Amino acid sequence: SSMMHRLGFCAGQLGSLRLRLAGQLLPARAMSLKVGDKLPAMELVEGPEMKKVNLQELFAGQRSILFGVPGAFTPTCSRVHLPSYVRDYDKLKAKGISQVFCLAVNDPFVMQAWSDANGAEGKVRMLSDTQAIFVEAAGLSLDLSHLLGGLRAKRFVMVIEDGVVKQLDVEPDPTKATCTLADEVLQSL
Amino acid sequence: MTSQVKPGDRLPQVTLFDGAPNKPVRIDELCAGKSVVIVGVPGAFTPTCHSSHLPGFVADFDKLKAKGVDLVICVAVNDPFVMAAWAGALGSGDKVLMLADSRAEFAKALGMDIDLTAVLGSVRCRRFSMHVVDNVVKSVNAEEDSSKVDASSSCRLLTKI
Repeated sequence: SSMMHRLGFCAGQLGSLRLRLAGQLLPARAMSLKVGDKLPAMELVEGPEMKKVNLQELFAGQRSILFGVPGAFTPTCSRVHLPSYVRDYDKLKAKGISQVFCLAVNDPFVMQAWSDANGAEGKVRMLSDTQAIFVEAAGLSLDLSHLLGGLRAKRFVMVIEDGVVKQLDVEPDPTKATCTLADEVLQSL
Repeated sequence: MTSQVKPGDRLPQVTLFDGAPNKPVRIDELCAGKSVVIVGVPGAFTPTCHSSHLPGFVADFDKLKAKGVDLVICVAVNDPFVMAAWAGALGSGDKVLMLADSRAEFAKALGMDIDLTAVLGSVRCRRFSMHVVDNVVKSVNAEEDSSKVDASSSCRLLTKI
């Protein structure tokens, strides 16, 4: 139906979508993104110029990595997670990855400052899911209100081929980075 | 919705965070018995806050001290890690204490909250400067247009202390 086309979910999610339309109080996991799904046609923001980017367009025709972090400048994200992708960028490219994105529920000014502080320019692109719309829809949100003031992204990594999720790993303990580090992803490519 | 703070009001008893979520600070306890300047900004690392508003207070720190100010505090609705990183980037170190109003409790208690969800993702703090002595507000200078620095600048505040 046109409603589903607008929401951008593929045929495989018809069942969960029908359920969602029927009942308002559906748990978020009914909308979870999983391997085999197409990314939704959502708009996020890249950079302090507030450039709007459409997820489906961004990942079309490319082999990409999208990893999510709970917060720019938070300890694990800063000491270990982002640096692993900056450091292993060339190795990832050698394995056929054409673009690497980092996503967080932080505004674009904070994301730019964090990118600058980590030398990510030209390697890892920063996506702001400022209102947590993507992480909520994908079942990848984490309530960190008590620590950071709001809903944040879980720590995850996806390998996406032509807009379709081929791999998805979510860190069981968001304060640690193990399966979502670049060298772990490299081994699976 | 709380009406905006004005001279004569007492500071609300709100907890802010100093560098990490496990480092809470009660603003009224911090300011008790002191002459304090509090600066509110919409967002750490946002252009105006970063390039004009805060640097003014860092630069005028000695002038403020000469007028008896004991402490300069900057507050924004950002998490404590972002505020600490911003302090580092500004080099504000021992001059301006950056405190995180993570859940906008302080901004709301002062009636200084502004909905910037569309651009920054959440309710934020209006741009303002305030002089407080022993938890009693002496002057409040709120910027009508939070994207500008005029009424809330450090040089304007210096004329009021």
